[in-house]
Amino acid sequence: MKILLEPILVSIIAGLFILVIPKRFRKVIEFFSLITSVYLFIAGIKIFFAAPLNAGYFYVDGLSRFIVPAIGFFGMLVTLYSMRSMASYKDVSSYYTYILWTIGSSILAAVSNNIILLLVSWGFLGFTLYALINISGPKAAAISKKTFIIIGGSDSLMILGFGIMWLMTKSLNLSDMRIDITAPMAFWSFLLVATGAFAKAGAMPFHTWIPETAQEAPISVTAFLPASLDKLLGIYLLARLTLNVFILNSFTYAILMVIGSITIIAAVMMALVQHDFKKLLGYHAVSQVGYMVLGIGTGNPIGIAGGLFHMLNNAIYKCCLFLSGGNVEYKTKTSDLDRIGGLAKIMPITFFASVIAALSISGVPPFNGFFSKWMIYQGLIEKGKSGGVLWIICLAAAMFGSGLTLASFIKLIHAIFLGQRADGKENSRRDEVSWQMWLPVSILAILCVIFGIFAYQIPLKFFIRPALGAGVVFIGEWQTLKATLLLFAGLVIGLIIYFLGNFKSVRMSDSYIGGEPVEKDMRLSGTEFYNTVKEYGLLRIIYKKAEAGFFDIYEQGKALVFGIGGFFQYLHNGILPTYLVWTLLGMMGLFLFFMR
Amino acid sequence: MTRLLFNFLIFPGFLFTAIVGLIASWIDRKVTARIQWRVGPPWYQPLIDLVKLSIKEITVPRSASKGLFFLSPMIGLSAVTFVSTLIWLVNIDPVSKGFSGDIIVIMYLLTLPAIAIILGASSSGNPLASLGASREIKLVMAYELPFIICLIVPVIKSHGLLRLSEIINYQAVNGSFIASLSGIIAFIVMIFCMQAKLGLVPFDASEAETEIMGGALIEYSGMLLAIFKLTKTMLMVALPLFLITLFWQGFNFLSIWKYVVLLVIIVLIRNTNPRVRVDQAVRFFWGKMTLMAILAVLLAIKGM
Repeated sequence: MKILLEPILVSIIAGLFILVIPKRFRKVIEFFSLITSVYLFIAGIKIFFAAPLNAGYFYVDGLSRFIVPAIGFFGMLVTLYSMRSMASYKDVSSYYTYILWTIGSSILAAVSNNIILLLVSWGFLGFTLYALINISGPKAAAISKKTFIIIGGSDSLMILGFGIMWLMTKSLNLSDMRIDITAPMAFWSFLLVATGAFAKAGAMPFHTWIPETAQEAPISVTAFLPASLDKLLGIYLLARLTLNVFILNSFTYAILMVIGSITIIAAVMMALVQHDFKKLLGYHAVSQVGYMVLGIGTGNPIGIAGGLFHMLNNAIYKCCLFLSGGNVEYKTKTSDLDRIGGLAKIMPITFFASVIAALSISGVPPFNGFFSKWMIYQGLIEKGKSGGVLWIICLAAAMFGSGLTLASFIKLIHAIFLGQRADGKENSRRDEVSWQMWLPVSILAILCVIFGIFAYQIPLKFFIRPALGAGVVFIGEWQTLKATLLLFAGLVIGLIIYFLGNFKSVRMSDSYIGGEPVEKDMRLSGTEFYNTVKEYGLLRIIYKKAEAGFFDIYEQGKALVFGIGGFFQYLHNGILPTYLVWTLLGMMGLFLFFMR
Repeated sequence: MTRLLFNFLIFPGFLFTAIVGLIASWIDRKVTARIQWRVGPPWYQPLIDLVKLSIKEITVPRSASKGLFFLSPMIGLSAVTFVSTLIWLVNIDPVSKGFSGDIIVIMYLLTLPAIAIILGASSSGNPLASLGASREIKLVMAYELPFIICLIVPVIKSHGLLRLSEIINYQAVNGSFIASLSGIIAFIVMIFCMQAKLGLVPFDASEAETEIMGGALIEYSGMLLAIFKLTKTMLMVALPLFLITLFWQGFNFLSIWKYVVLLVIIVLIRNTNPRVRVDQAVRFFWGKMTLMAILAVLLAIKGM
């Protein structure tokens, strides 16, 4: 018990303490929060090794256990990163306070058994998210409001759902609940609570806050919350519901699978045509949730394990991508893909980290993203053995979605790092960002490789299998280590062939475009890669609608609320004769009713 | 491990596939020449071309990101070597059972050569190469959709088998999939996807010599270009074999005619069609081909 409460208490007190330190002592604040976040990470590791506990207020089992150190880990990296990236922000003390509070309450949310405790920490996370987005100034105000309404609204639905569950089981502890979905109201309570999880993780149709947050909020905040922590928590809750709390039937699983597939395809199609890399990454943060929901929706151990593993992997590479994007933005002061280009030689570390993360998210072997996607596919095919057509559609959607992901990351890498420089300069002196910024990025990129190559030996063995208990049976054994060695041997063959040739005479020359000099306006930034797709038949209409906010649940909700409000506004126009007419009409109605 | 390494490097992996590929590419050139009323090259011409490239000077554009520029050809070669080793082994080596889920792995690895070309092209910093890369990635997106859907057909028909060797055995017992309606439709779609994956006419918009001067490969020269060419050549072996394995009961040295048939089809398509624009290719794959692929899946579910 003490081991669980200590980090939460420390994070709250440390956050309050930072508020007390005068803002002049910037270095002190930064250093203090870094120390605290390192402590929280260590405490998370301690919780990971603690004895299981599933009674009373806390629930520490294989599932929640590996979430906690992951939260601490990302918290630590982001705090380290913020030391440099947040240098231009004035109100640094409240920023670090919110970051520490976020870590603390996330840990609390992950280990709580009591639903009231869970709801309180969950709601508090909504508040810190709001505050952290709002920190980047007046531009972000509208977005933070939108986020708060979506997250807060789904939280209230969640409260309703938990209320129903309490009525059904007469218990406030998750560990005591075992609800059959076919019981009356059980389906609705599942859907309501799952809404909270979906909104947090960003599955459709509650995703719309993520791309816009990504665009406006400080990039370290995006990398911390929507990209990693919110995924961990949202999918954790969903997994908890499906694994321990509810006994689902095939219909509910089918709903999850459909939501997952639609999320994958729709979000990645939106990502293809973005011009702002932060927004592009934001749409991918949505799209990847689809894989996790799909994996959990298969309902068999391998699929669920794949979903959970994908959640962990996604947090790693998504955090890496956002932070590298932050490096780029820090250097170039813009996130518009049309105005960047050719940074590979200037920022080599960021470049290679982003390439690795991009290949991981696109599911290229032997990186980690491939492994978890492959597990999810196996889950789907396993599901297919019991018949039905849905799994085929989902499988095709998931595989094709990964192709589209690859396509949009080719565009990203091309537009930011390759191609020609946007400013037309030839200067290519190395000018990497400072170590506080490149170190977290490289750590995450290395983790992508390690989790891919040693998938059985490290993440599956320590994190995923204990989370599900026994029962993850691979129908396939993809020997990652051997395969990687062979791929590496292939690279060596290539090198040998290269050295067989005339490798000594390498000449530098200008780009050849038929003898013409390369002009600045010949540059192809990469943003126009997929304009043909945008113009293709039915897709054109869908894109137009999407850009107009037609599929945005917030915009539609706003239209509905303002529509109703507008009607009453129309009635209450403040002109006395109108009111008199209404009164008269009402009286006539009453008379008619009573005199009948 | 040594046995595996031998398999990977010499037989049936890198060296063997490369030799078969060189012969296949000679057949391709010879048939093309005959169609165009030319004599055609001698049988060792593809090899000589590689040797010629090996003594050429390598030029690197100043705007290039050198690391990736040099690494990209190797990535493609590595992936195609791995794929061809896997496919040959499950076909000719009764000991090797492959591993379950190898279809998915092969599918992913088969996209790596295209990625290698795209990364190499865009790292060169040449605007025409960027144009070629943009066309290539659009083409990848286009053919990947019907390709994936068709890949599901054998899985459905074999009731959820995911291992190539098991699919071959299933076909040995129950007859090859190509004999059924859904199988033949999927097979035809796959042939077009294969043509696009190989980057041959009519889907060679990314290289389009007459238009963007080699496009994606414009800045590559010397041995680096040779490696890319070798990758393409090996892909010309691996892809038809993959199709034969999936739909046509697999492959052994007696049934070499299956491969020749596919090769002739490739050559014929290539010689009787003009190059299509990339948007036409996208329309073709996302329209007709996807519909046919879906039809194949539906028929497969019905057991036809």
